This record gives sequence, structure tokens and C-alpha cells, in this order.
Amino acid sequence: MISTYLDWAATAPPDPEALDYGHTVALEYFGNPSSLHSYGKKAAELLAESRKRIAELLNCRPEQIYFTSGGSESNSIVFSQLLLGVRKGSILIGATEHPSVWETARACAELGYPVHEAKPEKDGRISPDAALQAFSSETELVSIMLLNNETGIVQDVKSIAAALRDARGGKKPPHIHTDAVQALGKEKIDLEDLRVDSASFSGHKIGAPRGIGILYLRRPLQGLFKGGGQEKGVRPGTENLPGITVLARVMEKRLPLIEEHREQARRQKARLMEGLSEIPGVLFIPEQAAGRDSHISPFILKCSFPPVPGEVLQRILSDRGYAVSTGSACSSSADRGRKKEKINRVLKVLGVSPQAAESSIRISLGPATRDEEIEAFVETATREIGTIKEQLG
Amino acid sequence: MNRELTAHYLIRVGEIGLKGNNRRMFEQQLKENIKRRLKGLEARVTGGRGRFFLELFSGNPAVAEEVLASTFGIVAFARVRVSDKDMEAIAATAAELLQKEVRAAASGTLSFKINAKRTDKSFLLNSYQIAVELGDRLTREIPGLTVDVKTPDIPLQVEVRDKVYIWGPQSTGPGGLPVGCAGKGILLLSGGIDSPVAGWMMAKRGLKLDAVYFHAYPYTSDEAKEKVVQLARILAPWNGGMNLFVVPFTKTQLKIKENVPKEAVTLIMRAGMMQVAHMAAEERGAGALVSGEALSQVASQTAGSMRFTGSVTDYPVFRPLIGMDKEEIIRTAERIRTYETSILPYEDCCTIFSPKHPLTSPNFSKIQGIYRQAGLEKELTEAYEKSERIYIPPYPETE
Repeated sequence: MISTYLDWAATAPPDPEALDYGHTVALEYFGNPSSLHSYGKKAAELLAESRKRIAELLNCRPEQIYFTSGGSESNSIVFSQLLLGVRKGSILIGATEHPSVWETARACAELGYPVHEAKPEKDGRISPDAALQAFSSETELVSIMLLNNETGIVQDVKSIAAALRDARGGKKPPHIHTDAVQALGKEKIDLEDLRVDSASFSGHKIGAPRGIGILYLRRPLQGLFKGGGQEKGVRPGTENLPGITVLARVMEKRLPLIEEHREQARRQKARLMEGLSEIPGVLFIPEQAAGRDSHISPFILKCSFPPVPGEVLQRILSDRGYAVSTGSACSSSADRGRKKEKINRVLKVLGVSPQAAESSIRISLGPATRDEEIEAFVETATREIGTIKEQLG
Repeated sequence: MNRELTAHYLIRVGEIGLKGNNRRMFEQQLKENIKRRLKGLEARVTGGRGRFFLELFSGNPAVAEEVLASTFGIVAFARVRVSDKDMEAIAATAAELLQKEVRAAASGTLSFKINAKRTDKSFLLNSYQIAVELGDRLTREIPGLTVDVKTPDIPLQVEVRDKVYIWGPQSTGPGGLPVGCAGKGILLLSGGIDSPVAGWMMAKRGLKLDAVYFHAYPYTSDEAKEKVVQLARILAPWNGGMNLFVVPFTKTQLKIKENVPKEAVTLIMRAGMMQVAHMAAEERGAGALVSGEALSQVASQTAGSMRFTGSVTDYPVFRPLIGMDKEEIIRTAERIRTYETSILPYEDCCTIFSPKHPLTSPNFSKIQGIYRQAGLEKELTEAYEKSERIYIPPYPETE
């Protein structure tokens, strides 16, 4: 059975060499970095070195890098500033945020913090003007994701941040956060240039294991919980040194090659789109998603094949050895009386029809994706979609 | 063999006691059902004529109590203490039992009444004397305990036979009739809320069920199938174990979609399912089919629709939910703990196979004609023959 992984946006296959290195670190640098003996010092040195390397790769200062358990925790630490009473006011988020931001904002809304959403244009981009429209004198926290996990749409966070910062004449600027989890390894990230106040990253999206993430903070914030003061109290808890070192290692390996990887992905995505566009009725989401559009990631392709339910197609492709994902589950309801409409929030915001949303799948690529795999996938998908359509009449 | 008794229960039955010449059959069935569910434990079930005893020689009494609380045919049961035949021992045993109850009472006080019975006439005191003597000893011994013969908090039963049997408040059983005494039935089990409840209700009337589930992979997910297996697991203890037939139904559904007018698809599909259930009934020697339909709930659950779907089989189709409201059904589902599983979101992608405007009052002969013309015989037989058969025992499989 062939096995082709085209779900890199869900999680990236681990980097075996980096994992081996992490294993060595776990065995040889087991000392607690807070301990004062030689074991601790040795671990603390490695921790500091990893932080420094990561900071260099993201172009920020080492003391601005905080290690967390992943993207959701990083996002939560930022939002918790409101709940902890450090900041008051309202929240502005993009309408297509990942659940780890969107649900957190909803929770804040329930606690009385007004939440406003900046709506994207048809092409999925939030313009600085649209962000300004949702912005008010009360806005205290802004969160706009850099790269959307479902559609691959890249937001111009730099321009949005600049516009919002200047909106009050430079006085009392809001805290501007970006969820950059999906962007790591897919977009070139220069935090100095981006000029946000905070950004979230997660290791498993680029080949490190689950359970290690980064929160970049231009200035320190209060921690969500208390403890031994590690990570300057922003994220207490004994540091996950093996995770941190593996993350530093994969970032060091991947980030310098980003242009090469993007070029490969662009080629492969163009081929995918060329191949799949032969299928009658295919929709690419958003519709302008041509392979070389600068604001859509070359690593992610969201497409729809009505009337074939994405869920069914995904199952069949899985049986044929291809791993892709669906953002939207079937919206039918088996149980009358309690209709459960599952509507894909992100696609709805983009004006995608419910049927197209239900028929959509996400194909996501990574540096290890091979051209032959793309060719074979196009062939298999074309055949299987044809069969289902024939079956369904 | 001298076995140590870990627990002893008195079991009361309801309707079985009313049965005439068949009573022994009902009683035998109940005994077997209890024993089957206690597999792995050393236990003995004795008695008859409305009263049974369960003696447990190994295992956790809580397990046995769970079994008694969910075995159809049992109206009530109580844990019985056994004592030697002298007043000293009887009082000590009764005191132990009552002390526990007084301690458990929020107010710290409790009223009780003694019902004494003496079948062993060689015992020195008669029933009245036993009650008076014991009542006197207990009220003196246990602070907070008072006698109330009219409305006692606790009736204390004392029976003097080969030994002395003493018990307090009874726990309720589920009632109904022992599963199996009404023969076998085939349950059309879906992943929804209704069909598990319908199955449970018929099992309660003594029908031993096998279940059929129609799986249309890849149009329905394996998670949906797992959900049905899970529902069968919840029903299996009540049913004394259960056979689940997972019927591959994709080919049939696709053929229906191809050959049948859109608005009739749902009804033809339901009739096809009924016909497969009929095949199962023939093979399994069942006497009835069971379905979770409730009148007017959906298009296929109108009188006209049911006339047609029921017409493909000559077995009686039991629809115990027919007159129930959704809320009533949900309450029962919650009680028997199928609800949480039923509402898991792995639904069929049935939008593909269910028309926007299904027939609600089909013309009987016309729809029968459509069914015949669809020519599903071969697909249905093949689907039934290719069923995956899963046996789920009445006790937890992990133990």
C-alpha cells in the first residue's frame, strides 16, 4: 500500500535526526536548568543557546522568546492579560481565526469583553481599512493570524499592525498579537520587521514533537499561572529542554531553506491545480487561489468537488493511501428533532456556499512532498471523484 | 464443598407470578438469565413462586447488585443477612443492619417496623413474639431508632426457616419479563436515539434481540459503525448478550439511487432494510422485527409509509415508540444510558441518499410497484450474506 502524506498543515512528520538529537539531550542534559550544580548549569547553557539560535532565526532578541507547550497556550497567555485585569477594553480579531484564538475570544466575550471581528475581502485578505473599521478607542487587544490553516490565506499583518498602531496618533497603542503557528516554515518571518507585540508558534507544525511552542513577546506579560518563575514568570514550569532543542534544531534546518521549499511547493501546487482543474465542477477556495498568488500559501490548497462530500472523498483517499483533511464535516443530520448543522465558520466568512464547503478538502504540502506523489495523487483523486460522481448520478 | 457466602439476595418478581401453566418456564428463564450475566462468579439461584434467592460465593456484591437492577423480570431485591436461630444472634444481625441505616439517615433518627414470619414452628417464639422481643432489644440498643408500625422509614423483614433471614429496604429492579421468554426478535438498530430505546422496551417484554445495522461505507464512516457497536454494548447486558449484524449496504443504496425516483428513495431503502431484517429473522428463528419508528416523526414514519415498509415482511413489526413524544424517548434513552452515545456526531452522509422532499403518503400499490421494479433481491441477499457478525457478551468483555 502506498502512503502519501498530504496533511502537513495538521502536523508535520517529525524530523528523525532532530528527534535523535532530542533523545540525546534528554539523556545527557537531564539536569534542571534552575539547579546550581554542574548538571543544571550544563542544561541552562543549552537552554540559553537554543533560545539565542531561535531568536536569531526569527530576528528578535533572545529575552523576547518564551517557551510554552504550543500555539494554543501561547495564544491563551496573551488573551489572559485581559482576564487577569492587566488590560481592559475590547478585543479585535480576524473573522477567520483558528479556534484557539476564536474560541478564546468568545470566552472573553462571555466574561464581558466586547469582541469585534475584522472581515476579509472576497480574496480572503483583511485590509488595513477593514481592520480600522472594526477598531475603536476601546480596542485593547488585536489578534490577526498570519497564515490561515484551512485556506492558506496570508494576512498582511505588518500593514494592519502599522495602521492600528498609528490609529490613535501613536498614543496608547493596542497590543497586537499574531497567531503565526501555521506560518512557521511556510512564510519568511522577521519579527523586527513585522512589528507585532506578540506572536505564537508551535513546534509540531515543522517537524518537532507535540508539546513545545514559542511565545514571542516584545515586552513581558503576566503569566497565566504561577510557579517557579521559569521563563520570567510568563510560563513557569521546568523547561522542556529536549523539546526546545529539537525545535531549535528543526528551525535551524528548515528556515534557511524556506525559499527553496516554497519554490518546490509552488511548483507542486500549480501542478495539483492544473491536474485537478480537469475535474468538472472543481472549485478552488478562495476562487482567486491561483498557484502564484502572493497572498496564498503555496503549501496549502483548499478545493471542493461538489456534490462529492469532502468527508466521503477523504475516506476513500485514505483507503487508497493518501492523507488529506476536511475542514467541514457533513452537515446532514441523522437525528430528527435535534438538527445539528455543522457549518464551516471560516469558509462561510469567505462566502463559500454550504454545499461547496461540505464538498471541500484541504491538501497541504511539505518539503518532503515529492513530484511523483503529486502526479499519483491527481490521478487517483480524478479517478475516485469520477467514480463517486458516477455512483451518485 | 463448604463455600463461604459473600452475599445473599432475595429477589421478588412481578408479572411472572401471575403466569399460569407457563410459570415454571418463566422462572427457569429468569434463573438462567441471572446466572448468565454473573458468568465468572460463583453463584447459585434458587427459589420459585415469586421469590428467588441469589447466593454469591465469590466476586464483588456491587457487581451482583448491578446485574439484579438490570435484569428484566425482577421487581425488587434486597441484600439478606443470615443468622443462627437464637434471639441473641438475630438481634445482633438486625442491629448491625439498622445501625448502618441510622447512620446514613440525615437526621440521625429512623423509624422501623418488624415483619416477622416463622415457617419453622419448632422455633420457641411465634411471629408476634419475635417482633415484640426484637423490637424491644433494638430500640434499647440503637439510639435514634423508634418503632412506627403504620408508616415506618424501614420495614425490617425477619423470616425463620432453616436459618433466620433478615433484610431491610429493597432496591427496585427494572420489572418486565425475563428476556427470552417471548422468543427472539430482530432489532433494526441505527446510530440514533430511538432504535436503542425501542430494543430496550421490547427486551423488557421478554424478547431476546439480535440487531441489524446498515453500513454504507464510505458514505457512512467507520466511526458511525463503532458508535452502533457501542450502543449494542450498552444494550447487551439487558438483553443477556447480543448478536450484531453489520450489513454492507452501499451497493443497495447506490442501486436504489440509480433506479428509484428521488422522492421515493427513503421509503424504498427502509423497505430494503426491513427485508434484510426479515432474512435475519428467518435464519435466527425470530418471531418479530423491532423498529424505532414513532408516528409522524419523519416522512417514513407516517401510517401510509409504515403500511408499505411493513408490507415486505410477514413478521409482525413491533414499534414500541409509536405513540411516544421525542422528549419521552430521550428520557428513556438517558435512563438506559444510550443517549450520550446516540448523540455523538458521526452521522450518515445521508443528504446524498435522502431527498429534499420525500414522500409522506405514498400510493400503496404504486410504491410497491417501484420497489418490485427496483429489483433489489440480489443486492439484499448478498448484503445479508456478507454481514459482519459481532457477538457482544452480557458482561464486560475486559474482565
